[in-house]
Amino acid sequence: MQSVDPQNGRTFWKKSNKVPGGMRAVYGAMHPPITRSPRSSPRKEAGPRKAETNDSFQEFQESVNDAWDCGDDEFCVISDVKISSRLVQSAALSVINSHRSSQLMTSTPPSILPELHHHHHHHYQRSHSPPPPPQPPHMEEEEEEEEMEYPHCSPGFDEENLPLSRLDPSAVIVPRAPVIAASDSERDMARTEKFLEVINRANTSLPELRKLSWSGIPTRVRAVAWRLLNGYLPANSERREETLRRKREEYWSFVDQYYGTRHEDLHQDTFRQIHIDIPRMSPLIPLFQQGTVQEMFERILYIWAIRHPASGYVQGINDLVTPFFIVFLHEVVPREESLDTYEVELIAAEQRAVVEADSFWCMSKLLDGIQDNYTFAQPGIQSKVQQLGELMKRIDVNLHQHLARQEIDYLQFSFRWFNNLLMREMPLGCTVRLWDTLHAEPDGFSHFVLYVCAAFLTYFSHHLMAQRDFQVSQGCSYYLESIFTPVIRGSCRPPVSSDALAIQGRVDGQGMWVFLGHSTVQKGFGFLRGSNSGHRERQSETLTTLLPPPLLC
Amino acid sequence: MGNRDDEYDYLFKVVLIGDSGVGKSNLLSRFTRNEFNLESKSTIGVEFATRSIEVDGKTIKAQIWDTAGQERYRAITSAYYRGAVGALLVYDIAKLLTYNNVERWLKELRDHADQNIVIMLVGNKSDLRHLRSVPTEEAKAFAEKEGLSFIETSALDSTNVETAFHNILTEIYRIVSRQQLPDTGTNEPPGGKTITVEPTEETNRSTNNCCAR
Repeated sequence: MQSVDPQNGRTFWKKSNKVPGGMRAVYGAMHPPITRSPRSSPRKEAGPRKAETNDSFQEFQESVNDAWDCGDDEFCVISDVKISSRLVQSAALSVINSHRSSQLMTSTPPSILPELHHHHHHHYQRSHSPPPPPQPPHMEEEEEEEEMEYPHCSPGFDEENLPLSRLDPSAVIVPRAPVIAASDSERDMARTEKFLEVINRANTSLPELRKLSWSGIPTRVRAVAWRLLNGYLPANSERREETLRRKREEYWSFVDQYYGTRHEDLHQDTFRQIHIDIPRMSPLIPLFQQGTVQEMFERILYIWAIRHPASGYVQGINDLVTPFFIVFLHEVVPREESLDTYEVELIAAEQRAVVEADSFWCMSKLLDGIQDNYTFAQPGIQSKVQQLGELMKRIDVNLHQHLARQEIDYLQFSFRWFNNLLMREMPLGCTVRLWDTLHAEPDGFSHFVLYVCAAFLTYFSHHLMAQRDFQVSQGCSYYLESIFTPVIRGSCRPPVSSDALAIQGRVDGQGMWVFLGHSTVQKGFGFLRGSNSGHRERQSETLTTLLPPPLLC
Repeated sequence: MGNRDDEYDYLFKVVLIGDSGVGKSNLLSRFTRNEFNLESKSTIGVEFATRSIEVDGKTIKAQIWDTAGQERYRAITSAYYRGAVGALLVYDIAKLLTYNNVERWLKELRDHADQNIVIMLVGNKSDLRHLRSVPTEEAKAFAEKEGLSFIETSALDSTNVETAFHNILTEIYRIVSRQQLPDTGTNEPPGGKTITVEPTEETNRSTNNCCAR
């Protein structure tokens, strides 16, 4: 359990009042102080633990470096993103070719209501509603289970993560044709079946679904899985249809009730801000330039803002709708169509209404967990920025000191990471994949994202260490972008053909694995990577030393 | 330009402020990278970029901080006003509201920035002639009344962007080089070391009892 160490009474996370982000006092501002508040200050894990920190972590990290080579998870095979694009391309082509035959074998599109086959598994306990609250990750009861559900990957590339499949949202930035359906591999089908089996139970086990989802959700079931993990769709399958019907009606009654107020004096600033942000949120994806789509976003954001006056609409929240919108839209767009150019007008109005309402509710649920990111002075972000600094000091002290020498505030670059949940730093397909994991983690969006950001930094540590003069040579953000973007995108050159796009998208997915894998190692959770039981003890120790308590009460 | 990045005589921190969507980020990218992006995304928090120019044979490196325009970000962005020796207060000549908000931005600067900060009022998007809703003369008169310099620019077609930055940096340079004489007796830092203008500590700043809403 987390508590202040009773022995020395000091908090583990925070000693100095200086905020690592270099925030200075804000004059005349009535807002929570920028220095830590009791609520947001991370506390120390109780229990016997030596005062040593960095050294032991580095030892630990070295000791688990071999986890990268274990082959027990997909990212292992791509733990080095410096794979030559030629290699990637040829491997991708071979996978594509080998699966091209199965391309024609299409699977039925998922129903919007996931009521397909209701296997009633009576050994599952009776429904609880709402779904059980997420547990802190280190308390997860499945910890003891050694057998993980994750399929073992064979050397080579993991088709499931190719954004080549019809339903993979990477297709949004990657035209699907001509390489769609490569994911309809046996393995993918098996995974999908496994998901469906869990989803369609009379009472879906969310811990089980989380465990399955952590390493990626097959595109066919992603929308339903997200609705469940998000807490929007009840775990009890009998209640699902009714709940969805009711919530969707409720959303549209909000629209009737509030949307007409958008030009009134009181609200016109809010609406104006939303209105000017929507066209520039994903400016290069044609889908988001469609009037119909922009209006859907405007309604979603405006209704949310009106109903959440404590934060209102804050730039960046608009980005958080996009993944839900894409995933839910995917359910209703004909398979053969390219999502990034599909004319949304062509979708039946009722279906569009469903996409919009579900996006609204899922985004609302997500924001419920991170609302202090957007209230006045954005204390949630400030505390995460601060924690990122603390975390980096422990896991990569060299980089931390380097940044300090360069007078780089964590606030300068990581504010946006937390504010937009890394959506500005990654291609949309990568974000969707990342969100599989964030959804699978209890407190993923409020808490685990911190580790993903730390993984980002440590992954690029050697690039950053090589940079001598951030402040005067160029902007820090620009510089970080110039490092991240080519690596994440897997290529420094803009893609020239749809094949190259597909491959680039595929490398995107791999880059994602590296980050997630990296964050996994840092967080050291043996229970999620159960086959590394040899490291269990040390990982547990690291858990207690590395895990700050949940940020939100 | 033409100087190595790390060689300069003065380093000036300048902030870009103004309502959301008036073109602050594009003014910055036009000046520092000669780029304009119709598809630019909204700025979140703060970002900065630098460029050096020559004034009187001295190399001046401008470190320009671009801020998010939305009100919610002011708690974050205003922290970056400190230490700034110049501010470009930008509005959109085609959107009256962004001009009407200039007074609020001035108050923002007076509350959070150094009192000697050099402020330039910038009417951006001057290429949108047919949509103009803020007369040049009116803005000019307002600037004079408030003791600000004034210019209209277009980040899109580059009009006056170079001039705007050049003028404000020169103005700052004149003030700084004048101030240095009584301070140190020398006006030349040895070895081209950084000179930043330290803000005078505002102990007698007017009461900050406004809550920012």
